[in-house]
Amino acid sequence: MSEFEKLKVVTKYELLKQIRRKRFYGALALTVLAVVLTIGLYKGLNLPEKMQQNIPVTMRISDSADLFAVFVTSMGSLAVFSAVFFAGDTIASEFERKTGYILFPNPVNRITIVVGKYLACFIATATIILVAYMISAGALLVFYGQIPGGIVGSLGLALMLSCTVISLAFIFSSVLKGGMGATIATLLTYMVIFSVISMSLSYAGYDPWFMPDRAGDAMAATYGVSFGDVSGGMMGGGQMMAGMLRASQNPTLSFFVLLGYAIALLGVSIWVTKRREMI
Amino acid sequence: MPDSILVKGLTRYYNGFLALDNLSLRVKWNEDVALLGPNGAGKTTALKILCGLIRPSKGTAYLAGINVMEERERAISQVGAILETPEFYPFLTPNETLRYLGRLRGMSERELDDRIMEVLKLIRLEDWVNVKIEKFSRGMKQRLALAQALLHDPPILILDEPSLGLDPRGMVEIRNILKEARKKKTVFFASHLLTEVEQICKKVAIIDRGKLRAYDDIARLKKKYRSFERAYLKLTEGSI
Repeated sequence: MSEFEKLKVVTKYELLKQIRRKRFYGALALTVLAVVLTIGLYKGLNLPEKMQQNIPVTMRISDSADLFAVFVTSMGSLAVFSAVFFAGDTIASEFERKTGYILFPNPVNRITIVVGKYLACFIATATIILVAYMISAGALLVFYGQIPGGIVGSLGLALMLSCTVISLAFIFSSVLKGGMGATIATLLTYMVIFSVISMSLSYAGYDPWFMPDRAGDAMAATYGVSFGDVSGGMMGGGQMMAGMLRASQNPTLSFFVLLGYAIALLGVSIWVTKRREMI
Repeated sequence: MPDSILVKGLTRYYNGFLALDNLSLRVKWNEDVALLGPNGAGKTTALKILCGLIRPSKGTAYLAGINVMEERERAISQVGAILETPEFYPFLTPNETLRYLGRLRGMSERELDDRIMEVLKLIRLEDWVNVKIEKFSRGMKQRLALAQALLHDPPILILDEPSLGLDPRGMVEIRNILKEARKKKTVFFASHLLTEVEQICKKVAIIDRGKLRAYDDIARLKKKYRSFERAYLKLTEGSI
């Protein structure tokens, strides 16, 4: 049996494990709630008008399918949380719950096991993200009668962001003893450490395009409408925050930045898992 | 023909603590050997090295003539193993678990259709084939662990305390299965239960504080020390 066949087997059963867990359905329910709420609040509070009330009328951006899409499909946090939910304990639990004593003494390479688990986590996360985008696409059709082409790029970036976060979670999961610790470490790293670095670089006048969190934000930049242009009125003077550099993200560059992180971090987690002993 | 199991100078340290000290032994095909020793003697460490779960600090191990350190996957394909107190994925059923492991061991779906029921009947879990393992007791998991070890009909069985957590009936049943298995397979198992070792094996390797103290037929040890129990106590003197 080839390693590719074994990879398919590992992916299939790891995915089965993921979708049997309550957290999959919990994440799915919360996703539906979040998207529906975003759509409802956008329309109910008339956000485009309210957000731009400090901007001169001539400079305002009118409500459109693109602007609506920026709001309802810019869910980097959804991609991040879903990825962390599924990936955080994937490797660590084999050691923590001792299921590795059943899985590892098999004629299968550890690389195959890690990649299979990775694919299963990605499929579970992608399912959640796809549901969110499908609801958003449905809302776009209902309210505007069209789906902007930028949604494809946005979806691509959301999926790539989830790959990066899964890879990051795999590193912690392969190093730490517990799944909970790996989950928290991943969230803290992505949402606190990366943010602090990106923000500091922005304040110092550098564009942190190479930071994963910053690259992930590019999923809102695929529609040709900048969230900053709309929200700028709330901040005053078109600044994101006083003194911060405001640079527009390049979706293509951001995609490749995320891809680079995803591959490099996965490579590290494979290396660590291969060497980890079942003590 | 190479030996079934060959261990040469296995040594393992855990952060400076010597868990296994230059262990060497040879198990011939279809031989049944027990690795006997007090808690912390190094039994599980030896079995983990044989199954490629940990690396030795020194020494080598071969399964069916294949170096475990150099060709782990090929060596491990010769083995069915139970290590420590096995845990299973709680959201999967025995059918799904055995199918997963069987496929990884190169078995086809068709082969597995028959074989899964066969091994589940053997360990008397056939009525639980589609019940999630989260509902299983400790003893049922131990039975399932034996089922997965036997699933691909491997020529070598490596078992760590195979009757751990079983009730008296379960212990008898497992011992009978192992007695039957040893007719066609090499059975190498760790235990600290003298009665179990005597019932299943003819030969015993007694280790204490990582060192091999004796490797001989049980009958010969009985003769030399007047009883198997006295042999064990004498050879593991000084242990807790």
